[in-house]
Amino acid sequence: MWGHLSIKNFWEGKIMSKEKKYSIKKDFSLLALLLIPIAVAINFAGGQLASLLKLPLYLDTIGTIFVAMLCGPWVGGLAGLVTNLVLGIANPIYIPFAIVNITVGLVTGFLARNKGFSTWWRWIISMVLMALASIITAAPIVVLMFGGITSSGTSLITATLMATGTNIWKAVVSTELVFTVIDRVISFGITYLILRVVPARTLIKFSLGENYIKKGKNAAVADTEENVDDDID
Amino acid sequence: MWREKLKVVKENKIAGLYPFTKLWIVLFYSICAMILGTITVDGYPIYMILSFVIVPILAILTGIMKKVGGVLKNMAFLSFFIIVVQGILVKSKDIIITLNIFNFFNVNLYKQSLQYGLVLAFSIMCMGGILAWFFGSTDNKELISALESKGMGPKASYVFLSTLQMIEVLQKSSKTIMSAQQARGVETEGNVFVRSKAFIPSMVPLILSSITNTEERVLTLESKGFLVKGKKTKLYDVSPNGKEKIAMVSIIIYTVIIVLWRVLLWVL
Repeated sequence: MWGHLSIKNFWEGKIMSKEKKYSIKKDFSLLALLLIPIAVAINFAGGQLASLLKLPLYLDTIGTIFVAMLCGPWVGGLAGLVTNLVLGIANPIYIPFAIVNITVGLVTGFLARNKGFSTWWRWIISMVLMALASIITAAPIVVLMFGGITSSGTSLITATLMATGTNIWKAVVSTELVFTVIDRVISFGITYLILRVVPARTLIKFSLGENYIKKGKNAAVADTEENVDDDID
Repeated sequence: MWREKLKVVKENKIAGLYPFTKLWIVLFYSICAMILGTITVDGYPIYMILSFVIVPILAILTGIMKKVGGVLKNMAFLSFFIIVVQGILVKSKDIIITLNIFNFFNVNLYKQSLQYGLVLAFSIMCMGGILAWFFGSTDNKELISALESKGMGPKASYVFLSTLQMIEVLQKSSKTIMSAQQARGVETEGNVFVRSKAFIPSMVPLILSSITNTEERVLTLESKGFLVKGKKTKLYDVSPNGKEKIAMVSIIIYTVIIVLWRVLLWVL
């Protein structure tokens, strides 16, 4: 499993690591697989809350971000896809937006793999990147499929902008820009809080969990945990 | 004998169709709706609007109007908004009517934008409607069972089923956690700002407890032999109910007629 040049390794290794640390098989451990329903349920709860409170936010990617940061891009993307499929059962309007949620999962996961969250300023850059990716995928769907109006609170603002004569693309992109950024900042904030509180012995069971273990006081605990054989794979 | 008790027997023949047949209906109907959208009478997509009528009729025939009615109403509301926004706010060549408000300013209804809005709105209504019909007439168990017969792995089925259960479980847990936090002094009633401050103290314990439960669930699944390789037997099975041929033939005839119509219009 360690660094031999072969097709099998090529498929299993990702992006830049010279020693390939990440493989899809390891990402999709049973624990990760069972985390997907939780991520979807969180997204669901967040989305419901946002529409109940009529907030101009979506809050339906908290779970996706969380799972992507712990288990990598593919698990994150899958969580995103399942979220929108399940939301679609109740209201088929949400199905096209699966693309956005999948993108969030993929981008966050790849950023997490490449130390995108190791320092506070990297968090900010990663957040911005991820928000941009969301907007780039969401705006075309809103404009081309829905003519600028979705059932979210942001559409009222888009409509107001359009009423003042702004071109539809500009109206949608500016609304999306502001509210998506706020939404993602809040989602990332919640994820950060949770990752801080999850115990190290749980974090270690996930592909990318090591990055979030606090160094210092717990370093000794983390070191001994690393030697434990991980049977769950 | 109790295995038969697990089987869901649907009286309604349409609802009891095999899930894949229903999916074909969804697909063909959507394609036809899109094709009809290009056949316009004086620019208006009349036939697409007419084809939408099939959805509520189908829902009533299937006996799920109560379930599906709410979703259709939501979509209708959204579509109405789309039509209004497009028709009034997006300028195009011709103006149909001009409303004079308080003798102060004019509200114009633009023809091309209205037509575009109608196409968008009814695309959503048709495709969303037929999907709503599909989900309303098919139990999740049935769909997943059918997918598994076609070769979807048990892990995927478990993720899907678990997701649907988990949503309910989490909603119950969130109520418990909210009352626990209330007992500790977190304000959960009041205006929007007060309630948003209660959001984080409710979400974080929820997510945390879910993660720890997941660890136990992994152990449970493994002890039940979930990861064992080999053929799995099923307790609940979906079988075709006999009317599939009629359904498939009808929907294919419908599609063929519409495609021919479109091609003829194009050729002539």
